[in-house]
This record gives sequence, C-alpha cells and structure tokens, in this order.
Amino acid sequence: MTSAPRALLAVDAGLATTTVSLLGRPGGRWRLLGSLSVPAPADPDAVATVLAGRVAAADRGLADRLDLQPGDAPELPRLTSRTPPGQPLVVIAASRRAVSLLQDVATRTPWHVHAASPETHDPREMTELALRPGVDTLLLGCSDPPGPDERGALDDVAALVGAVARRRPELRIVLAGPIAQLRAWREALGSAAEPPPPDAPYADASRSGEPTGEAPDASAATGAAEGAEVADAARIVHAPPIRLRDGPDEPLREILEGLLPRADVTRHVAVQSAISLADLLDLRLELVDIGLDGGLRVMASPGVADGGPAGVAVRTAAGGLAPMEIDDRAVESVLAWTTGSLDRHRMGDRLLDLRARPWADATGEGARRRLAAARAALARLAAVTTDLGALPTPDLTILAGGAFAAAPPRAVALALADTIRRTGATQVALDHARLLGPLGTIEDPDERRSILRDLADDLLAPIGTVVVVAGAPAGRRANQRVGTLTFVDDGPTPAIDLHGGEVAFYEMAPGARATATLEFRDAVRFGRRARRVTVPVSGGVGGLAVDLRDVPLRLPERRDRRRAALVHWDQLAWPGTDR
Amino acid sequence: MIESRPVADPGDIEVGGLELVPHRELLSRSIDAWFPLSPGDRPRVEPDQAVVAGDPLADRLREPRTIVLPRSPGRHGPVEPGQPWSAGAGRRVREGETPPEGEILFRSGGRWRVAAGERFETLVAPFAGVVREVHRGIGIRVTADARGIAGTHVRAGPTSGRLQVVAAADAELRAPHVDVGAAGAIIVAGARMDAEALARARAVGIRGVIVAGLGIKERRDFMASERRGRAAVHGLPSFAVLVLDGAARRPISNAHMALFEALEGRPAAIVGRPPCLVVDDTGIELPLPDRDELRVRSGPLVGAEGRWAGLAGPRRFAAGLTVESAFVRFGDRPPIAVPIGDLERFV
Repeated sequence: MTSAPRALLAVDAGLATTTVSLLGRPGGRWRLLGSLSVPAPADPDAVATVLAGRVAAADRGLADRLDLQPGDAPELPRLTSRTPPGQPLVVIAASRRAVSLLQDVATRTPWHVHAASPETHDPREMTELALRPGVDTLLLGCSDPPGPDERGALDDVAALVGAVARRRPELRIVLAGPIAQLRAWREALGSAAEPPPPDAPYADASRSGEPTGEAPDASAATGAAEGAEVADAARIVHAPPIRLRDGPDEPLREILEGLLPRADVTRHVAVQSAISLADLLDLRLELVDIGLDGGLRVMASPGVADGGPAGVAVRTAAGGLAPMEIDDRAVESVLAWTTGSLDRHRMGDRLLDLRARPWADATGEGARRRLAAARAALARLAAVTTDLGALPTPDLTILAGGAFAAAPPRAVALALADTIRRTGATQVALDHARLLGPLGTIEDPDERRSILRDLADDLLAPIGTVVVVAGAPAGRRANQRVGTLTFVDDGPTPAIDLHGGEVAFYEMAPGARATATLEFRDAVRFGRRARRVTVPVSGGVGGLAVDLRDVPLRLPERRDRRRAALVHWDQLAWPGTDR
Repeated sequence: MIESRPVADPGDIEVGGLELVPHRELLSRSIDAWFPLSPGDRPRVEPDQAVVAGDPLADRLREPRTIVLPRSPGRHGPVEPGQPWSAGAGRRVREGETPPEGEILFRSGGRWRVAAGERFETLVAPFAGVVREVHRGIGIRVTADARGIAGTHVRAGPTSGRLQVVAAADAELRAPHVDVGAAGAIIVAGARMDAEALARARAVGIRGVIVAGLGIKERRDFMASERRGRAAVHGLPSFAVLVLDGAARRPISNAHMALFEALEGRPAAIVGRPPCLVVDDTGIELPLPDRDELRVRSGPLVGAEGRWAGLAGPRRFAAGLTVESAFVRFGDRPPIAVPIGDLERFV
C-alpha cells in the first residue's frame, strides 16, 4: 500500500465465512466503519456493496466525507487474506515409534496428517495411501542413525516411497534423515536419488538444534538430480532426521510449512499483525484463532531495548472446529462439553453437518453445539502447543475465527477459561471484524503499525478480564467462602465472597478499569503461591470472570455429574436463554 | 426463536442482497467423473476410448494382499513399479488353479512386493462417455456431455438403473415398505433411510438409493454390510446411496423432487466423484427453480421453502444471538426473518 486512500476494504475470505470490513479515514485517522460476515464462498464485491449501503444509510455525512458510493464500493482498494482448504500429508516411517515422532511434528503444522508404518499398514495399503490423487506431499523420515526398531523395515519403506515417486512424478517428497543415502532408495529412484548437497539448508540446523528461520525454498533444498526416470527431481526436499528425544522441531516444521502457500494466508499473516499489535500496545499478547479447518496460537511480546517485537506461533490442523473425519474420538471430545441430550450418533450427525455447512444452525441449540465444538478444538490446540502454554499468562488474549463469531461474550470467555488454563489474569478481546488477517498482509511493518495504531480501539471488542487462581480449596459445604474479592476503582467497594471450585462473573463495563484484590484464607497459586493477590482488571461486555477451579480443569468422570457442572457454569454464560 | 411478526413497513426491507445467501449448483451440464482404483486393479480401457453404459472399465481385486517374490518377476526386460504381474504367465496352469494376478509395487532387498489376488470383480461404466485418463493403481477419469444432479456424498457405487420415486420428499422409508417391484431401479426414498431398509433395498435388487440425509450410524452400518457382502463368495451387484444434503433429517428440496419426477422411469447413474446422479438423456427439459426461491436448510423452520423478500440485517434469534438475516415469504404470509446461514438457494 503506497498511496493514502480515504476508504478501503479488508476482506477475510475464510472457508466458512467471508468477512468484509469497511475502513475509512474521515478525520486523519483510520476507523472501522462496519463489517459484514456471510457464508462462504461469497462475492466480496456484493458484500462490500451491501455494507457500504448500510454505512451510507446510517451516516450520509460520513459517506459524503469519504466520497463513498455504495455502488462504487467494489472499486475501493482492499487488503485480502484467505484461508485455503487443508491439504493432506502422508507421513511414513519404518516403525510405529518413528512415525509417531514425525506425526507429532507434522501435527504442529496446517497439514492434515495421515500416518502409516509397516506395523500398522500392509505395503499395498501404504502404496495406496501414497498414490491417492488428493495427496501431493509425502514425508518419509528416520532417525540418524536409524533406531533398532527402524532398521528392519527402513529399506522397505524407502523402496516403497521411491517406487511411488516414479509412478507419480508430481508427488513432492520430504526426506527427514539420511534416507537418500540408503541403497534401497537409490535403486528405487534411479539416478534422481542423489544425496543432499553438503550445503542443504537443514544441515546446520540439525547439528546445532537452532531453527533456520525462514523455510527454505523447496527447489533450493533438493539434491541436484537429473535422472531420466523422474521428470522433476526438485520435488525432493531434504530435512533433518527424527529426534529421539525431545528437541526443537522448528527446522522440520518450517520446511513443512514452507511447502504450503502463505503469502496472503490468514493464519500466517495474522501473526505479523499480532506481533505489531503487541509492540504497539506494549503488552504480551496471545492470539487464539479457531477456524473450520485449523487453528492458530501466537504468543507475541513487545520489543525491549534494542530487541524488536517477537512472536512464537503454531498453526495446526488439529485446532479446526470440525475435524475432517468425524470419528468416535471427535464426537466424544465435543460430547464432553455439551449439556444437551444428544446421543453419540446424533452428535456425530450434527458434527458432519457442521463440517459440511459450518455457517448453518448458528442460533439456539446450534450455537451451544458450536461452542462445545470450539471448546474441543481449543483443547486440541492447547494439547499440541504445550510449549506456548508453559509461557507466562499474557496481558491480553485475542480470540479470532468464526467459532466465536456468534456466541455470548461470557460464553466465549468461559470457553477460553475452560481450555487454555493458566493461573494469572488476562484481558480477553475478540477480533470481531476479522481484521488481523487482512492487516497482516501489509508488508511494511511501519505502515502496518500505523494503521493498527489507528484501529486498535475498533478492531478489538473487549470481552473482559479472566482471573484464574489455582489451589483454592473447594469448600466441603456448598457456598463455603474461601476468600474475598475487592475492587478499587474510584474508591474501595464492599468485599465479595469467593467460593472454592467455582467460577463467577462480575459486571464491569467496557472501558472500565480497576484494581482487584483477592484475599484467601490459605495460600493459592497465582503464578506463585500467595494469600493476597492484587491485579489490574478491565471491563468488557462479559465483565470480570474469577475462576477458582482446578488447573488443569478436572471435570467429573460420571456423565450426569459432569453435565450438572457444565449446566451450572453455562447458566452464567448464557443467562436467560430458553433451553 | 424465529422472528415471526410481520414486517411493519415493507418499504423498510433492504432489496437486493440475494447473492449473500449460500448457493448450491443444482444441475451441471457436463460430467467429469473419477473412478478410483487400488494397487492390483486391472484397467480395461485406454485413454480417449469411448465407452457406453455397461462397458467394463476395470477389474477390481476383491481380496487384495501383498505377495513377496524372491526373484525378478520380469522375464523379458526391466520391471517397473505399477507394471501388471501374473503368477500364471509363462507356465502351464493346473486345472482348477487360479493363479494370482496383480501389480508390481516395489523391490527391496532383492525381493519384489506385489499387490495381488485371485478374484476380481468388474467395474462397469455407469454412463456413456470418453475415457480421459487411466492410471493403474490410482484411477480412471471419464467425461461425458451428460447432466448431473449434485449431492453431497455417495456411499459405495458406482451404479446405474432407471429412476423411480417411491416416497414423498419428507418420508422416511422403512424396511417393510421397500418393494421388490423396484428391483433394478435407483429409488428416490425421501428424507432418510435406516441401515435395515438399505440392506433390504440391496437384497431385493434395488441398484441405488437417493435420500436427503443419512446419519453417521446408518453410514457405518451400511458400509459394514457392504464390506461383508463384498467379501462373500459371489460378491454383490453394484449399489450406491446418494445423499443430497447431509446427516440430519430434512426433506428433499422441491427443486430436487421436481427434477426426479421429471426424470422418473429414465436411465440414470450414481457416481461418487463428484457425488451426483448422472442423466445421460440431454434432450429432456428439466424444471429449474426460480432465482428467488429459497429453502431453509437448518434451524427451527428446516425444510420450509419460500421466496426472497430482502435483507433483514442483524437480528436477535434464539439463545440471544444476533446474526445476519433475510426476509423470506412463505406462501401468502407476511415475510419473516431467517438467519442467512440457515438459507440455501439453487443456481
């Protein structure tokens, strides 16, 4: 963006919904004039026309100042981010343990992983999996040196993948480890199977354990193959071997992510927005995005001294609202968060329909099911991002994605508190107009920062503050007081009783700020052990949530008791709704 | 709850915006069908070959397994993965012996792995067309200037037969009501069918079923029954279930029913990729819905059909949620607001 228009469109073309936001600069700074989300795929021009018409109808003077004509809205400059459909990645290794290690890494990428090893699949089944027309990338890996469990079958899987590569010249193959040096691989692939060049991008990273930063270009990372048997040997990408022990997975993860498009992909560019926003607000922030086909979790921190702002991000298909294949596990994970009376089969039906038409049935019971699915997705996202979960509680948590678009604010805050559990206090806000993706497409960090500065108040809808305290003993009797909560705003307010094992919401208007003091009879965990905790809190449409439940949350095993607990908490989040 | 009060002033309705309603293609003008093959299956067609309905496309292995060969299977030159293989080639086959046949997979440790088996079943072309691609072990692509009525997915198949409407759009066909008189037909069975009714339909010789919805339990039970049937000695004739909408119960749309009624008695086929009913006869006039006809696909009014009356803007619905909505006129009643996400139109 080099010129300075008076109005522009921000388009987030997701898999489930298309959101168009109209940004205007009526008085020297950018403002969000309105946004509209409709089921995808929708024509952004048609959405923009309707949106501009509404803005013009609501404030004719503003439209005139911006020279905004509804019919001309499609001509406005626009920032567009999109979410492509998830792509399958076949992961093959010589043993169950090895494929599990590779799968753990690949799961922390947007790829939809299909894993196979000789212990779980027959060679014919593995060949069939790799030959599937929808599969265009395959990951084959081993340890260096190969483990005892891998040695027996490593030649077989290398030969199998080499044979598949000959049959499907368009298949891209990532070799993690010294596969290319195996005789079976060279024989299967012919002269195209040359070992990686000494300056292969993974070489240094694999030795030092340091991430390589930007993922290498696939063509640059390949062995220089000129074999007649394989038309395009540039499709073979060399990657570091499997690590036997826990170690940084960034090199392989970066390579896998580098094979996917990411120039204008929402979950990729939103990371840039999150980092810029963290620096702008001078806050440590977390961005949690749950979409139909995947999720994103970012921890961003502002620049300190000479160091610029930084962020750590994990994009994963496991964080999708509805898994691509609805199996018993997926159904159970959603049922665990529901209070309705659906059995397993009917819930499976609803999830199949949610997957096929994610925008439908967004009100009434459908909204509760959607949020239950969002909780299950958040739990999956938390499970694959334990490294991010171990970081200190951020000052601000931003929720994004269609999963939270149509839900009461308190229900959204409770869903977050139920699944991403850490002791501490965090403000919670919603990227309600889905702007973080489109704004992240602005390549110049200064320009991005400038527009974010203008829009910071508009793009985040404040939900409130969530305070999570662990170790507060649950009362032996109902309503047993374990501590008190006091607000200091203009002056101190009367103390409010706190009850162990419970979560409670307190009204606090958007924009309101206060200091909350929590005092307990016994020491509790709040980052550290203490009996008295004082934290700054801010209001929102959901208010302040004080959560004294276990960390991690332990729901009753018995279904009736679990459901009773969920119903009790649900009544706080969905007040006054008929069931 | 749905906003059920009539609009106070019809002049307030925001005209236009119909394009914001999610749409589905009802009828395609050409078919590009993909028939997947597995390693070991034998294609019986070549690219650019014309086929008519009933022509063999491939022989599919019924009980494929991996065979390990201690020496090279090639007697007359180099061996390539994907190459056909037969245990009986070049030697006398004993009486009663069925030598395994299949496809070379790969070579490792001096030994060859082969996907092979003894028994095959024939995959026949369900409609007339031209073979565009043949990939051994992967699939066959066939195109045709036929029309396709799109569904959301297909179980089993492909199949072909004459089309017969046996139930109303919102009916649920039960096993006792599956009539043997429909043998050889693809039946339009209404909103839903259970696994027992599907098993009976297959047993009486029905070739295919079209339903609006098929639940996850019915899908699993049907596919388990299909696998058992395929594993039996004589196999099973082709059969397929075309699902028009999804998993939850909802009636077949008026637009679909009008097409099925117009096509009743004519030959049709069900293919899985893309999931659709293929109609070879391009001469017949097919009724298409008006541009402003809408269907409520989910929510409390599921199955209702009406006409577009304009955008209603953000409105509050059940569970206290505010979502984008549109006015829909059902019959002669005043228009009411329905969430846009719950609506569907056909193009």
